[in-house]
Amino acid sequence: MHELSMADSMVNAILNTAKSNDAIEIKEATLEIGELTMLNPEQLKFMIGVLSKDTLLENTKMNINMLPIKIECQNCDYKGETKTDDEMNHLLAAAKCPKCNDTNVKVIQGRECNVKTIKIEREDDA
Amino acid sequence: MHNIASIEIEKDIIKANKELAQENQKIFNENNVYAIDLVGAVGSGKTSLMETLIDKMDENIGVIAGDIISKFDAKRIENKNVPVVGLNTGKECHLDAHLVEHALPDINLNDISLLFIENVGNLICPTDFILGSHIRIVIISVTEGDDTAEKHPMIFRDDADFAIVNKVDLADAVGADADKMVEDIQKINPKIPVVKCSLKTGEGVDTIIETINKFKG
Repeated sequence: MHELSMADSMVNAILNTAKSNDAIEIKEATLEIGELTMLNPEQLKFMIGVLSKDTLLENTKMNINMLPIKIECQNCDYKGETKTDDEMNHLLAAAKCPKCNDTNVKVIQGRECNVKTIKIEREDDA
Repeated sequence: MHNIASIEIEKDIIKANKELAQENQKIFNENNVYAIDLVGAVGSGKTSLMETLIDKMDENIGVIAGDIISKFDAKRIENKNVPVVGLNTGKECHLDAHLVEHALPDINLNDISLLFIENVGNLICPTDFILGSHIRIVIISVTEGDDTAEKHPMIFRDDADFAIVNKVDLADAVGADADKMVEDIQKINPKIPVVKCSLKTGEGVDTIIETINKFKG
């Protein structure tokens, strides 16, 4: 249950921050998930929903932003997104430079699993 | 009255795991223990590889086992008279640095020079979760099909250091091309050494030990 442990860490990070900022409600939370993380956003959303029950997160609007894969080619210095070809395994495509086809590439974006921001409601004098 | 505030959290779960992993490695280094994260599918030969290396390597070996679910497996390692800590991973599909950190107090690092951390049998989920080991070995076997490497490219990439293709003695029987598996791994990650072996016949075992020793330096 890959998504469950990730969702658990994310829910905890959000609730801890909300508590330390005296939130009475969490309106919105924004997550960033890299496309290489093997996380399915729908499953993640479902798991977060399950874990949020009876917490401040129960009615929160969850934004999940998927971050495309970006690489830096060690051969031709290409820097940017990779083509993902539906015909083949997209992860293998990601491990290749779209310009020179070299596999010696450094992944510079796509492995994030980031709790980015939350929007909370709190008492004025809190 | 209430007000609405936007708060930056910027907490990356994978980065947090990496930081914990660094702490684990510090502990290994302080105790002069060389740690190896062993990744492979169910039935790829992780336990057999450890049994063989315990017999053949000139090291005091300890094992943290994330994949020992059956008592039978645990006994196989215990029979070798080496310290084993079983990690109760429940339904988890991968080990993480935090779980390993919790297992460390149960193993006397002063008694060992080499620590195997056997990951959960899975070629997908462990990819992003480094544990603090010095190297990660990925073992696959021809019986999983000779398209196993190309179907799981990410596990062979950034965090893999050494790949083993096991059960080559069975390649003909299952109609698998072991050389193709090696070529696929080298295509995915040109930087890592790949060794074909049969833990049953002993083929390739010496090369595996030489390669580990080279990493150890």
